[in-house]
Parts: sequence; C-alpha cells; structure tokens
Amino acid sequence: MLKQINTLLVTTIFLFFLLGGCAKKVDPNVKVLNFVISSKVKGMDPVYAADKYSNNEIARVYEGLLEYHYLKRPYTLVPNLAASMPKVSADGLTYTFKIKQGVMFHDDICFPRGKGRELEAADFVYSIKRLADPKLQSLGWWLLDGKIKGLNSWRKKYSSADAADYSEVVEGLQALDKYTLQFKLARPFPQFLYSLAMPFTFAVANEAVTKYGKEFLNHPVGTGPFILPAFEQSNKITYVKNPTFREKLYPSEASEEFKKLGYLADAGKRLPLVDKIVVKTMVESQPRWLNFLKGKLDYISIPKDNFDTAVIPGKGISDKLAKKGIILLITPSLDVTYTSFNFDHKLFQNKKLRQALSLAIDIHKVNKLFYNDTGLPANSVIPPGIAGHIKGFVNKYQGPDLERSKKLLAEAGYKDGKGLPELVYETTASTTARLQGDLFVRRMALIGVKARIQQNTWPEMNKKINNRTAMIWGIAWSADYPDAENFLQLLYGPNRAPGSNKAGYNNPAFNRMFEVASRMQDSPERTAFYERLNLLVAEDSPWIFGVHRQSYVIKHGWLKNYISSDFDSGQAQYLNINLKEKIKKIEVL
Amino acid sequence: MGNITKSKSLWSHAWSSLTADRMALISMVIIGTYTLIAVLGGLDLIASDWAKEVGPSYAAPSWDNLLGTDIFGRSVVAKVIKGTEIAMSIGLFTAIVSTVIGVFLGSIAGYYGGKVDEVIVWFYTTFASIPGIMKLVAISFILGKGLFAIYLALGLSNWVHLCRLVRGEVIRHKDREYVQAATAIGGGNFRKLFKHILPNVFHIVIIQFSLQFQTAIKSEVILSYLGLGAQSVPSWGTMINDSKLELARDVWWQLSAATAAMLIVVLAFNILGDALRDALDPKLKGK
Repeated sequence: MLKQINTLLVTTIFLFFLLGGCAKKVDPNVKVLNFVISSKVKGMDPVYAADKYSNNEIARVYEGLLEYHYLKRPYTLVPNLAASMPKVSADGLTYTFKIKQGVMFHDDICFPRGKGRELEAADFVYSIKRLADPKLQSLGWWLLDGKIKGLNSWRKKYSSADAADYSEVVEGLQALDKYTLQFKLARPFPQFLYSLAMPFTFAVANEAVTKYGKEFLNHPVGTGPFILPAFEQSNKITYVKNPTFREKLYPSEASEEFKKLGYLADAGKRLPLVDKIVVKTMVESQPRWLNFLKGKLDYISIPKDNFDTAVIPGKGISDKLAKKGIILLITPSLDVTYTSFNFDHKLFQNKKLRQALSLAIDIHKVNKLFYNDTGLPANSVIPPGIAGHIKGFVNKYQGPDLERSKKLLAEAGYKDGKGLPELVYETTASTTARLQGDLFVRRMALIGVKARIQQNTWPEMNKKINNRTAMIWGIAWSADYPDAENFLQLLYGPNRAPGSNKAGYNNPAFNRMFEVASRMQDSPERTAFYERLNLLVAEDSPWIFGVHRQSYVIKHGWLKNYISSDFDSGQAQYLNINLKEKIKKIEVL
Repeated sequence: MGNITKSKSLWSHAWSSLTADRMALISMVIIGTYTLIAVLGGLDLIASDWAKEVGPSYAAPSWDNLLGTDIFGRSVVAKVIKGTEIAMSIGLFTAIVSTVIGVFLGSIAGYYGGKVDEVIVWFYTTFASIPGIMKLVAISFILGKGLFAIYLALGLSNWVHLCRLVRGEVIRHKDREYVQAATAIGGGNFRKLFKHILPNVFHIVIIQFSLQFQTAIKSEVILSYLGLGAQSVPSWGTMINDSKLELARDVWWQLSAATAAMLIVVLAFNILGDALRDALDPKLKGK
C-alpha cells in the first residue's frame, strides 16, 4: 500500500514538472526582452568591441559621447553623454565637448561605499587613452591612428615600457575642466565624430579597471541603461534595468516613415522601457528559427534555408506566420554590390565601352536570381539611408538596354565586339559567385563581347585584385559608418589598390571635389557635394552598379519600437514589450 | 598444333566470354552510347545550343523540357549531353596519359631491374605518398585552369597503380622461356620488352584502362565541384555544384540528371572492368 502511494506521488510530481515545463509562462509584471546572438561574446571591455555582437552587448552597459538618433534617417548623430554637439573650430581641428552633468556610473564595489560616482570629462580622456595603450593591444586603435594630436607619440613612447603613464598630458586629448573635453586633431577629419558613437570610445571608470584588473573584461561598470551584475562565459547573458539611470527620454521626433508606423507611441517616456534583457547564444540557425516560432525570441533575421517558408517573393510574409502576429521588416543595408573594371587596362579608360557593358547587364534578372528579388537596383555608389543618395534618380546606363548598349559599343570603337580582347571575369568558387559570373558572360555574348569566368579561391582573388592583375570582378562594400565619404573613397584616385580604390579609377574632377567634400562638416552644402559626386560617378560608370541589399528580419507583434539597422548598438533601451499581447499570443504559438 | 591455335585465340576467347556475360554486354552498349553522344557533341551535331534560354528559370521537367531548366532557363538535357562530352573526353585523355606513363615506367623498371628499378620505385612511392587531391590542386595551379590542365593533372596523378602492376607482371615474365627463346635468336631488349612481354601483360592494361576511365570521370566531377575543373562549359560537377542553391527551392532535376548520368557510366565501366578481368586474366580462366 505504502509502495503504491509512493508510486502515485512520484508520478504526480513527475507530471507536475512535465506540465510545468510545457506551460508558456509569462510574468505579467516584468517586461523581458529575449534576444539571440549567433556567436559568443568574448568579453565586455569596450576597447575589444571589434565585432557587431560585442558592440551590441557593450552598448547596453556603456555609453559614449554621441549616438545615432533612434528614429531619424538618414542616420544623424545626436549627443548622448555630451550635453550638446561639440563646438568645432574654424579650421576643423579642435572639437570642444560639454559633458552632461549628473550622469552616474553604476553602483559597484569598486567605488567608495559601493555607490557609483559622477561621470567627468577626464573619464573620456582615460578611456580613449586605453584605446591607444600599446599594452592593451586594443582592437580599435585603427579608428584613431594618426588622427589625434600627440596620441600616436604617447602610444609609441610606452610601447616598450612596462606600463603606459596615463597622467601624462596628450595635447590633442584633454579635460579642460570637470565637464569640458577637448580634442585636437592632427588633420581635418569630419568623420571623427562617428568614432565617438562607436563602442571603442565609450566611457569606462578608472576605479573599475584598477579594481578588477584582468577580470575587468567580465565586470562591466558603465553609465548605460542596463546593468550586468557579472558576465560569465556562458550561453546566456542577463541584464537588468539600471535603477540610477539618468533621465533620458524616448525621442518625440521621427522621420516620416517611422511616424506613420507608430514609432512615436512611447514618445517622452523615460528610458529604458523594459526591466530585463536575456541574450542567448545559438550558433546554429535552426534552433534560432524554432525558438523564435515558439515565442522564446522576440526577433531574428530570417535564416537563408527558411526564407521560402517565411517570405513569399513580391508579396511579403507568408500567411502562416502572419496569422501568428509575426511581422516582417525589410530594411536597406548600407551597402552596394558592383562589378569593377581594372583601369590599368587601357581598354576600360574608354567611357563609352564601360557604359555599353553596363547597359548590357540585366540588373532585374540579377536581383531576381541571386537576391530573391529583395535588393534595390543601385543607380550609383551611395546607398539609400545616407546623405548623398538621390531618391528617384535613375542611372541612364543601368541595363538592360541591348540596343543602346550595341550602339555605344560601336561608338566606343568595338562594333559588335570586334577588336575587343576576351574579357576575364574573376570570381570565387562559391556557387552563387560563379553563377553571377556566368550571367555576366551570357549578357556579354548578347552584344557580341566575348568573356569567360575564372574561378579563384578568395585569397587568390584578393591578391589578383590588389596587385591589379584582375580584369573584371564582382564584389560588394558595406558601410563602416553612415557617411557617403566611406563609399566615395572607393573611387578616389590616390586610394588606388592596394588601397581601397581597387578599380584604379582616377578622375581629376572627382578627386578635387572629393577632397573638398571629405573635409567638410556635415551640412547641406556637403550633401550637395556628395550628390554631385554621386551623379558624376553614375555618368562615368567606373563600375557596373549592382544592388543595394536589404536585410530581412521577422519579429513578434508584442515587440514594440524595434528597427532593423546597421548601427543598432544601444537599441535595447528604446524597445518595449506589450505584455498583454504577448500573454495572449504566446498561448497560440 | 591445336594448342598453338588455342593460345593464339586469347582475345577471341575473351571476346566470346565477354559477349556471353549479359551485364558486360549491356555495359558495353551503355559506354558505346555515351561515346556516341560525346562524339556527336564534340562535332557540334547535338546540344551545340546548350547556352540558349529555352524556358523560364527553374522550370520543372515537362514535355517541352524533359529534365527541366536551370537558373538561366537553359535545358538540363542539353547540359547533361554537353557534360557527357566533357566527362568522356576527360576519361579518355586521362586514361591515355596515365596508361602511357604507367606502362612505360612500369615495364622499364620491371625489365631492367637494378638501379633503374630502384629509381622508378622510389619515385612512384614518393609520388603516391602525396595525397591525391593535393596533387590535383597543385598541378592545376601550375597549369592554370581549363580542360587541357585537367587532362594532364588527372593523367599525371593516376598512373602509379598501373605502373606497379605492370612492373610486377614484367618481372614475372622476363625470365620465362619465350623471352629466353627471343634472346636466343638475337632479340634486343627493346624488341623483347615491347614485342614479346608487353602483349602478354596487356590484359592488365586494358582492365586498368577501363577503371582509370571512370576514376577520371569521378575526379573531374569533384574538381569541378571545387571550382578547379571545367570553366564556362557545363560539366556534371558544376551542375551538382549549382544544385547547392536549388535544393532549398525543391529544384531537384539538375542534381538528379547529372548524378544519374555519372552513376550510369561509372557503373557500366566498373562492371565492364570486372568482366574484362574475368575474361582476360589467365589466373581466373575456367573458374
């Protein structure tokens, strides 16, 4: 009898746990964001934030002087820990920042009595010197290398010493008083401000670095909206809301596109909007996909293999997912794909030939066959979302137009391809790359131009491009920061390969204009310059423009204010969870 | 007298035992068909317009396009046929290159022995110790890419096995009575080796030739799959490589067509190789 009761008890307990495990419980009082990343984050020290994942994690805890306005496109820098945008001297070399007062570091045992102290200008001097510290071997030194007066010689001086002396004054990097920070640049570099929105330059506390030493990597102490009590090398990172976070409000202004979509519903509310963030690591795409479908993740980018299940080409999200309240977000990436000519070949200095070849390419077919029709045909070098991109502009030499192509080919002196050598299109051995090359060859055949593809390993191809032996090749560029300069420099004559101008395009008119524009501060005049450069490039056809790719992200309806973006670090503070909706929806998933 | 006639009819004996084997017969017909297709393709009599668009991208098999179309709307049938030409030519040339090298080095090593043998054995042992795929990649890096490079690369990396076999066989034969008889009537080394010994070990060469043939076809598929093979012409390997993009969209016809085309001819060569061995190897005769 006793035995029977025992068995019954065990079964009951077992069932209880079994059912308990299955029930989708959502705590109605706590707003939790559930994110996924596909590779482990190595640590939480800003000077090692070299990849997108560590960037995002670090930006939950730490903050910088500037950030991108959450709801404005083109991307616009706005003050974050700075009280306002800096004063820039007339020569463009001196940047003076006022820092917000009353910003507190997280409470942590590294501070006296465990209470976080106020942030000062000197903290930025300290943090940026850490980036330059030769002993730390930071991954972000390239960002400021040669840009700040005296910082290179400071770095050099201590490269063979045991430790760098942080108290030594660097001319270009000084705290004038408690709240005033001054940068002096070695040369004009308006893109400097973008580096202040990157996690590399975020503010850390001297006390925490001293207290934790080598373990600082695992003990982030910042000023940000969330706290990570201790970072463990596990597959799950849990952040909680920072109780002493300053009064920072959800923006009340937005670009039209966001206004329409209701992104201003939380306008004026105090940030952050959620209580907790749980970030899980899942390397394989299938677990990510299944966990998302079960509602255990708030959003994911669509795995390639599931694309057909999730998206109906030309229509949007599949009905099955739409019924579950899942929403598809399509966002242009800041990139451009293109086919480049090597200008070392005299042949390609013939503008009409370049235009003829460009007209022969069927960009819509390329888009359909290789990008599931998700790309935007590129009309020039600057992608949408960046100042300098011209909405509605159509490149006259965008294909397909075989008639005009043939006409231009004849005008170029190669009627029906006669007199042209065989064109060699270099590609990697990957299936897609090879087929893209195949398509190029096929299109060339239509205007009588002989071409063939040459497959390479990636290092082989890179070498050919860099030592300028490749003739034609297909490649892409993604933005480092949202400034057209980052794209236009790919065509600036003096940058020729092995620099970033692999084509070796060298147009004096372009070079002169670029030199002026790249030294200008962000302004309508500079945008006008960028637009002129963009048009000049479109007319000159130094490349055959491909597409601007788009990212495809799906999210659950309960996740509010989410925007898919190339620069999404710091985003979590703006996100919100509609708990009522989540509790209701998760039952039917 | 009767004995002499019998020994003379080794080849005719082999032929009759081959034709008696139904599987071998079918294999020969299959290989003959592939050869015919390859020749007709080579003369541009069939599938010369393989690059033409005949339908939409990824059209499923239908009466218009028996095996469907590929990403650019090209007929998969035409690509398989063009691929047959490539595969068969590679099989043939590779087998010739490797046979010539293998037979030449093997017979010299076996016949002369001594230092010559040592050098050749050392050479092929060293050569054979380099992994095959690395040899292929290295040779195609030196020779560049394209069909000619593949002929040579595959031929140069596949002769060792045959060389070993021929060497062993020649060693067994070189002291036989008929060779001594040839010496007695004043035959020189060259004559003895190529006129007397070689015909007696030639059955091995034939068997190996048929096996080389199908090894080469398989290797070409692998090379093309890795992007080192045929460029700008359809080959079964590139077709299989293409299907990496296709399977997720349920486009199975290109993969199936190329795989089946390869499977059938490789199987046929294997069966024929076995049958040839049964028919030609004196040790197996009568079993």
